[in-house]
Amino acid sequence: MDRLARAMAWLGGLVLTGLIVMTCLSVLGRGIGLGPIEGDFEIVEAGMAFVIFAFLPICQLTAGHATVDVFTNGLPGGAQRGLRAGIDVVFAAVLIVIAVQLWAGLMSKFASGQVSFILGFPVWWGYAGAMLGALASSAVAIYVAVLRVAGVALGRDLLPEPEG
Amino acid sequence: MSDLAIGALSFPALLLLIFARVPIGLAMFLTGAVGLVLVTGDWSLPLARLKSETYTTFSNYSLSIVPMFLLMGYFATLGGMSQALFKAAEGFLGHRKGGVAMAAVGACAGFGAICGSSLATAATMGRVALPELRRHGYAGGFSTATLAAGGTLGILIPPSVVLVIYAILTEQNIAKLFLAAFIPGALAALGYMLAIAIYARLHPDEVGVKARVGWGTRLRLLAAVWPVLAVFALVVGGIYAGWFTPTEGAAVGALGTGLIAMVQGGLTWATLGESFRSTARATGMIFFIVLGAAFYNGFLALTQVPQEAAAWVGGQGFAPYTVLIVILIFYLLLGCLMDSLSMILLTVPIFWPVVQGLDFGFVTMVELQSARLEALVASGAEIAAGTLVEARGMLAAGEELTRELRRELGLRGVSNGVLARINTEQVAIWFGIMVLIVVEVGLITPPVGMNLFVINAMDRATPITATYRAVLYFVASDLIRVAILLAFPVITLILVPW
Repeated sequence: MDRLARAMAWLGGLVLTGLIVMTCLSVLGRGIGLGPIEGDFEIVEAGMAFVIFAFLPICQLTAGHATVDVFTNGLPGGAQRGLRAGIDVVFAAVLIVIAVQLWAGLMSKFASGQVSFILGFPVWWGYAGAMLGALASSAVAIYVAVLRVAGVALGRDLLPEPEG
Repeated sequence: MSDLAIGALSFPALLLLIFARVPIGLAMFLTGAVGLVLVTGDWSLPLARLKSETYTTFSNYSLSIVPMFLLMGYFATLGGMSQALFKAAEGFLGHRKGGVAMAAVGACAGFGAICGSSLATAATMGRVALPELRRHGYAGGFSTATLAAGGTLGILIPPSVVLVIYAILTEQNIAKLFLAAFIPGALAALGYMLAIAIYARLHPDEVGVKARVGWGTRLRLLAAVWPVLAVFALVVGGIYAGWFTPTEGAAVGALGTGLIAMVQGGLTWATLGESFRSTARATGMIFFIVLGAAFYNGFLALTQVPQEAAAWVGGQGFAPYTVLIVILIFYLLLGCLMDSLSMILLTVPIFWPVVQGLDFGFVTMVELQSARLEALVASGAEIAAGTLVEARGMLAAGEELTRELRRELGLRGVSNGVLARINTEQVAIWFGIMVLIVVEVGLITPPVGMNLFVINAMDRATPITATYRAVLYFVASDLIRVAILLAFPVITLILVPW
């Protein structure tokens, strides 16, 4: 799972870099009179959906989500583990629902044959890319939830605490 | 239960979840989804929204600025910019009383210019400046407090991720918000340096001394920071000048800092992967909150709570400043517990409609008419000399132009609608900057300010109470600045064209 999350972060990062370079080329092209890359923002939008979904797994795995923990820090270790296990089970369920509904969205875009406004590429391509990340996020979230629940059973933390 | 009651109760329920350590994005998502179910009676609406809403939220063009700016910040660190900035600031300020601390604040301000996040600025500069401060004999609590406070500059000095989010939420112009943040950001840095100077005089035993360095060294250190200055000037200048959109500016900045890092030799496969992972974690966190907020706010709008709240406040006849101050105090309290981005996403959809309805009267009709008239004259339009003299005379006397006179002049864009739009924009910008500042004060307010913990954790030898004691000087400086900016909106708004 660590491998998967890292690989998705790499993939997302590379696509992000690609989008950045393309945007810069487009700006440059406009600046020197060659004209911008046509429909560049459509590529950025579709690519960004993939990037964000690809970035979610590592955030999930390393507990990168923003929380307010001043009120719960005082709880005993067991109660804290139980609380986090419960939360991460719910989190996994939510990410699975998101993935399932994204799949439904993908199917409807596929069936309708909707294409993007300027470049005319099928909108479902973007959804398919996002789907990949959503699947990885769900897998990682299930893994995290299972380890947290197991941690409650064993009475110790099985996932490393994030730094900072 | 009426929809309105459900909407009103959802907020305490949401806070309860958040305080029970449920991730903020997840809490908003759940509250929004359950709320929608309660209001509509079944699960079909939230499920149907999910089909396209995650995709459209994550593929929002304006939001794509966020991962780009984040990556830019990490590349900047890899390029050794934080180190170079601190060294340069130290060269100029280090020999003064409390000078190394001042240099740390200056470097934070400079780094804030390329990095959009408080915690990241505080953490990055902490690694660079904390050892230096300690080496020169600065007390632990004073050093950590300085860096925690300096970190808050990151979010104010453009480009700022939180300002981007605020701009999207309130449908304002990102470039104008960046412009408005400029003077308050500079004032913040000056205020912190003043706080340091006062602290150093009151506690001379807690600051070290450092020898003055010559101008030759100073210039050499300054030359080392030119890449930062170049990237900053290109990104911010380019956005203001309209060469590119904010998103394009972020792309240019990320590529620029990436290339610098490559030239400086800081970019290897290992560090690139690390930058990607750090960017991924921060991006995942931010976008999940954005998604949760979209869900929660969609539900709130359906219950009419924001509109009703705005109507209620409007109907009470409170003075606009009273309402604003109450809201800012609320932000100050909540800002101690939550990071600024979550705060903005959580509360702006509720408070903005309320604030939008308040009339601060920033721009009067006479001012608008004079500005439009002078623009017309400057554009070389043919105006009869007598008419122009008459019009200028009326405006100078504080009278609005008559309809006949306006027609004779061919003056356009001076309707009440235009005036209202300009005033709303001015209020939006001013409110956004004020909220951002107040939330940042929360980040360094004892006993729970998050920046304090991040920095204090870097210096194991310093007890958190020592940080608390020293940071009060910075909090005081912040509060004075808030009062000044509140009393004189013009300081914030003077750079913003309308």
